[in-house]
Amino acid sequence: MDFFDFGLILASVIFIAGAARRIVRWFAAGKSTAPDRNSLNPIKAVWALIFDGLLLARTGRTDKLRWISHTLVFFGFMGLLLFHALDDYVTAAFFPAFESTLDPWQWLRNLFGLMTLSGLAYMGHRRFHTRTVRDTSRFQDWAAILLVAGIILSGFFLEASKIISPAVFTRMTNEFFVPDEAGDMTALKAYWADEYGVVFPETLPMDEDTLEKGAELNQDSCADCHSNTKSAFVSRPLATAMMPLANSLNVSRADKVFWYLHIVFCFIGLATLPFGKFFHPLSAPVNLAARQGRRDGAPAGPFAQMVGLDACTRCGECSVRCSVAPSYAVLGNKDILPSEKLVSLGKYRSEGSLSGHDLEDFAQGSRICTECLQCTDICPVGINLQDLWLTSKPEVAAESPDPNQAVRAMDAVTRSSGLGEEPCLPPVYGLADNKESFHGCVQCTTCTSVCPVVAVSEDPSTDLDLTPQQIMNLLRMGLKDETLGARMVWSCTTCYKCQEHCPQNIKVADILYELRNTAAARIGRDRFKGEC
Amino acid sequence: MRFAYFPGCKIQHHLPEYGSSVEAVCNALDIELVKLEFNCCGWPVRHENELASIYSAVRNFAQAEAAGLSIMTPCKCCFGNLKYASHRLAEDPKLSESVAYLLAQDGLSMPKSMDAFHLLTILDEQVGAEFLRRRTAIPLSGVKVACHYGCHALRPGNVTGFDDPLAPTLFERIIQALGAETVDWDLRLECCGHPLRGRDDIISQALMRKKVEGAKEAGADIIVTACTYCQLQFDRERAKLPRTDLAYQAPPAVLVTQLIGKALGLDAYEVGLNKNHIPWHAPVL
Repeated sequence: MDFFDFGLILASVIFIAGAARRIVRWFAAGKSTAPDRNSLNPIKAVWALIFDGLLLARTGRTDKLRWISHTLVFFGFMGLLLFHALDDYVTAAFFPAFESTLDPWQWLRNLFGLMTLSGLAYMGHRRFHTRTVRDTSRFQDWAAILLVAGIILSGFFLEASKIISPAVFTRMTNEFFVPDEAGDMTALKAYWADEYGVVFPETLPMDEDTLEKGAELNQDSCADCHSNTKSAFVSRPLATAMMPLANSLNVSRADKVFWYLHIVFCFIGLATLPFGKFFHPLSAPVNLAARQGRRDGAPAGPFAQMVGLDACTRCGECSVRCSVAPSYAVLGNKDILPSEKLVSLGKYRSEGSLSGHDLEDFAQGSRICTECLQCTDICPVGINLQDLWLTSKPEVAAESPDPNQAVRAMDAVTRSSGLGEEPCLPPVYGLADNKESFHGCVQCTTCTSVCPVVAVSEDPSTDLDLTPQQIMNLLRMGLKDETLGARMVWSCTTCYKCQEHCPQNIKVADILYELRNTAAARIGRDRFKGEC
Repeated sequence: MRFAYFPGCKIQHHLPEYGSSVEAVCNALDIELVKLEFNCCGWPVRHENELASIYSAVRNFAQAEAAGLSIMTPCKCCFGNLKYASHRLAEDPKLSESVAYLLAQDGLSMPKSMDAFHLLTILDEQVGAEFLRRRTAIPLSGVKVACHYGCHALRPGNVTGFDDPLAPTLFERIIQALGAETVDWDLRLECCGHPLRGRDDIISQALMRKKVEGAKEAGADIIVTACTYCQLQFDRERAKLPRTDLAYQAPPAVLVTQLIGKALGLDAYEVGLNKNHIPWHAPVL
């Protein structure tokens, strides 16, 4: 077994095992409720595969440049995969006279490679220059771009180093060229050096007669299988650029080095395909077919959810357009952004839970989501994110309580103890710390008597701890800490009646808002404490 | 009339009939709605962090200004928070500085004008009761309507400037123009209770119950809302009660645009009356 066979078998085994693991998980998740076959309309599914899968209609809807770049990469890479990597099985089967060094194949290879590279270049550019996407890019996002670029670039360098290589020339002539007379070989070499770009170590006669003779010999022995390397419109200029170093490259057999590099990149590509976002060329079409062109957030069941979790390409469009992305800009919790919350949800699902800070981030990200459907509507691979959020929000809220639940779970003594130290995030408003905001309070109890929450409470002191007017009184006495946990603060319905009716123009409702902000900062986000 | 249409977060998935009826009614009344890529108004996150809330709101003003339009929203909470944000920026230079910094990080600059209107204001001031009366194809004679104002548009009055916060008449003017009768309802300015959903469900439920039963006592056939959250509370949340519950049997909630649509002679499906979870069996008019 040689290097190629061994590498191919190893990469294939990793690929098959990895892909099987993920597909088994889809069915394991959906075991309780098998995928609903009644709702699967084969015509719609095939239509979605063509329209949303092959033609990337969903991508085109939101971003034309992204559509162009992804289309270039998709068709360029598929062209190379089918007609170059699998040429023995595909190209040769359809075109019996196929030779990889004949046109249009030589030319097409360069075209497909260039398409892929230019698409990748835009992807890299976008990932670097779109702020949200750059902030959320992970190792695998850059690795995916670099790996595919590595495959294409090593291919171009391989072809270029073969063009200049006299060793490759000699291997071919040994096999396919029988010189009739002395000087034939020199003439053919001269012609190939002149026309095809081979760089020989010896000086060759470049007169017209020799070149003419070389052209004839080329026509008889080589041209049937070899188009002029000029049609390799990327590799040939690359070979020309390499000329100053040609002799040392040729001596060190750069063509073999690039061959190994090219093959190793391809094997890594195959072996990593079932991991992380690398799986999307397989999982995204499955998700698109299952979604059948829908963009709503209707409940989909665990099978569809699991496929959706695996389909993400991490393009970041959802996070760029997320309705609550401004909250991320202020709070700095990446789990507010859908693409990142999806990663946490994936971990949460596969590991059963999350630990410490990760759970806290995931819980905050989940509760800040307003379920606006934007990410689901936008997703180029049709993930039903809305359904994922609607299912996971109550689950994670039960595990990691929001500030309101946390306060309510405390006993009366803890609630009135100030809820711990002040975190790094400073309160923005400062009404409750500023005497001027309540020193006009005359304790007339208007705020309490108009409060609808106090009115419906059967026993305010048991249900609410304090009334609005009592809270204002504590603030007047400088006892802010004692108010933060009062359930009145958390049961305020924000109707602003207290503030509207206050004869002294005290911003009662705004103060209650601020107290919630302060308490939320003290209770949650442990990671911001002690790092100021 | 041309406005940047700000539906808010909840309409698209949770209350699509409000979106479709707003668009249908505005179309019928020659109000052009331009859809911009807005983000959240910031109201929901205000319980957690005020700066995040204000920045969210101001970002929307920046988008609207770039399009040269004023914002029009059918949601009272979105309206209230947008107004609150512009009010806060005007009174607090330090906060304004923080927001300007955040905007700059996103390649935006502080909007010079921050205009936001609630749909009812547009109907009252720009369309006008007289025009509505003329356009009414099927007058809603005999329908007794309890107008539910919604807290966040009304109060704090000095911030929102919506109407007289203690004795508003705007909503009634519009409903009466459609030929319907408005009832004297003591609780018309009270909270629907939705802001407490998930925080204090018991009080949220009690507030809702008190209101809808009050509307029944006032002799109303329907409660008319002009806010996404109020309608979610009076329709979706109330529909979870058993049908035998007195609150369930109290007057159903109808969106103001559904009612206007009906009066204008629009199709009941177009204004999504079939999508209300507690149906209104409208009398044959």
